[in-house]
Amino acid sequence: MKNKRFAIVLDTKRCIDCKACTVACKTENHVPLGTDNYRNWVGPEPLRGTYPNLGQTFTPSQCQHCSNPPCEHVCPTGATTVTPDGIVHVIEHKCIGCKYCMTACPYDARYYNEEIEAVDKCTFCSQRIYGENGQLPACVETCPTKVRVFGDLNDPNSDVSKLLAKHPSRVLKPAQGTKPNLYYLI
Amino acid sequence: MSSFLKHRPSLPLWLGLLSIGVLIGVAGALNVLINGHAQVYNVTREVPWGILIATYVFLVVSSTGLCLLSSLGHVFGIEKFEFIGKRAIILAIITLLCGFGAIGMEINHPIRLAIYAIISPNFTSAIWWMGTLYGLYLVLLSGELYFLMKGMHKGAFTMGMLGFIAAVSAHSNLGAVFGLLEARPFWHGSFLPIYFILSALVSGGAIVSLIVYFNYKQSGTPIPQKYEAFFDTLGRLQTLFLMVLVFFVIWKIIPGIYGHPPEKYEATMAMLTGPLAFNFWFFEVLLGLLIPITLLINPRTRTPMGVMWAGISATVGIFFMRYDLVIGGQLVSMRAGTADLRDGLLHYVPSITEFAIVIGAISTCLLLYTLAEKFLPLDADEH
Ligand code: SF4
Ligand code: SF4
Repeated sequence: MKNKRFAIVLDTKRCIDCKACTVACKTENHVPLGTDNYRNWVGPEPLRGTYPNLGQTFTPSQCQHCSNPPCEHVCPTGATTVTPDGIVHVIEHKCIGCKYCMTACPYDARYYNEEIEAVDKCTFCSQRIYGENGQLPACVETCPTKVRVFGDLNDPNSDVSKLLAKHPSRVLKPAQGTKPNLYYLI
Repeated sequence: MSSFLKHRPSLPLWLGLLSIGVLIGVAGALNVLINGHAQVYNVTREVPWGILIATYVFLVVSSTGLCLLSSLGHVFGIEKFEFIGKRAIILAIITLLCGFGAIGMEINHPIRLAIYAIISPNFTSAIWWMGTLYGLYLVLLSGELYFLMKGMHKGAFTMGMLGFIAAVSAHSNLGAVFGLLEARPFWHGSFLPIYFILSALVSGGAIVSLIVYFNYKQSGTPIPQKYEAFFDTLGRLQTLFLMVLVFFVIWKIIPGIYGHPPEKYEATMAMLTGPLAFNFWFFEVLLGLLIPITLLINPRTRTPMGVMWAGISATVGIFFMRYDLVIGGQLVSMRAGTADLRDGLLHYVPSITEFAIVIGAISTCLLLYTLAEKFLPLDADEH
């Protein structure tokens, strides 16, 4: 069977900055309390225009599950690794806490989790997507305005493939050469 | 012992001070072990490397510099430098070990490092290479010291040669730990590996002047004619190293501001006018470069004492060069919308525990060296 290439496509025009995705993620993935501890976030873009003609969009983001991930290249013990389906994750018992991956990631997608004693990051909720019922990642499932669509880019009939075929999109910091797998519709 | 103390009246005071420094470090380390890194350090998810990494870099730069300077004598055969061999190598070993101690306190699981670096190595990681090359370097330094102590010059030469190669490889690779990070424009590129070698020479020159000077000062004997000449040569050499360093500093800054390259510009300005500006202008430029160059370039102040003061001033300056380099590279946020910015930059101030560990690491270094000086026969057999 062909491997999957998981990705998320986001339509940021729908984002209302409710931060339900960040709450869902913290709960689902047992992210400890503390301002530094989070796997995903909603980034406010600068305000556009002058009063009364104003506009603002919000960019939810998280680990981009890069196809060319610098965090994996720099990890001295191979604690950061990539599954055949393209999920970048940390093998906890191998993580020495050198935080090299945190300085190497251009997206600030990682934090040190004192509870699991390793660096932690988004895993596309692999416990859910590979689970018995094949659920969606928590952030995708919870989003009230359906900003996020999750799926397999290797399947031309998946929702993500179809969205990317139909609409132009962008990725964050393309010049870094990381080949991100979070796509933002434009 | 009593004659030793008689000649060195300030020694008990010095040892006392260093012991207090070591105890402060131990208290800091215990605080980390009891309360955990997150509670007692000020590093964050966005500035994950703090003053302990800077101290590590400072100490291993010193180690490399000492090795390079001592190799001038027993590897490259410049006679004037031969007599510093044992002292320089022993201090190179001590600074390296204390450096390992500092980084060992910064990373969360040094034991896992020892295990998984061997059973699960990642050859594309500059930190993996860093551990491996510095490990090799430590073995070679120890071998070199052994042969020097035994007076076996051939063995010392071979080990010294290999040690020299290991020192340059390990140290330029340390520059690459930062230089390979494309995400950090302030660090990225081939500049840092090269710069690290040069700054090691400056560090080495400064510290050699200190160990030679204080050795004679403390022994209560006047500095012999021969060493006056040594200080003059060392002073000239150090002027050259420092001048080249000035050139490196200038060419680090100009591409950082010319045309406002994104992220690099903000980091460079953090040093020139931002939160690191005092460190940069006062410690790096004034203490690290201008004062030593002024003292060393003038034949009237290029006396043993002048060279020593230049050494102290440069060493303090170099510590801040390491600090500003490590912190400056992390002050630009990697993404939009981080809440806690000041003037568009992230911020980091070391915690008391972090300071305590830095004091501990440096005091341990000085204490071990003082003890080595006291208990080991370090005066060279003239040959
Ligand atoms: S976004 Fe960061 S953590 Fe995620 S794969 Fe890319 S480099 Fe690694
Ligand atoms: S902190 Fe852990 S996952 Fe990150 S580079 Fe170091 S060992 Fe690898």
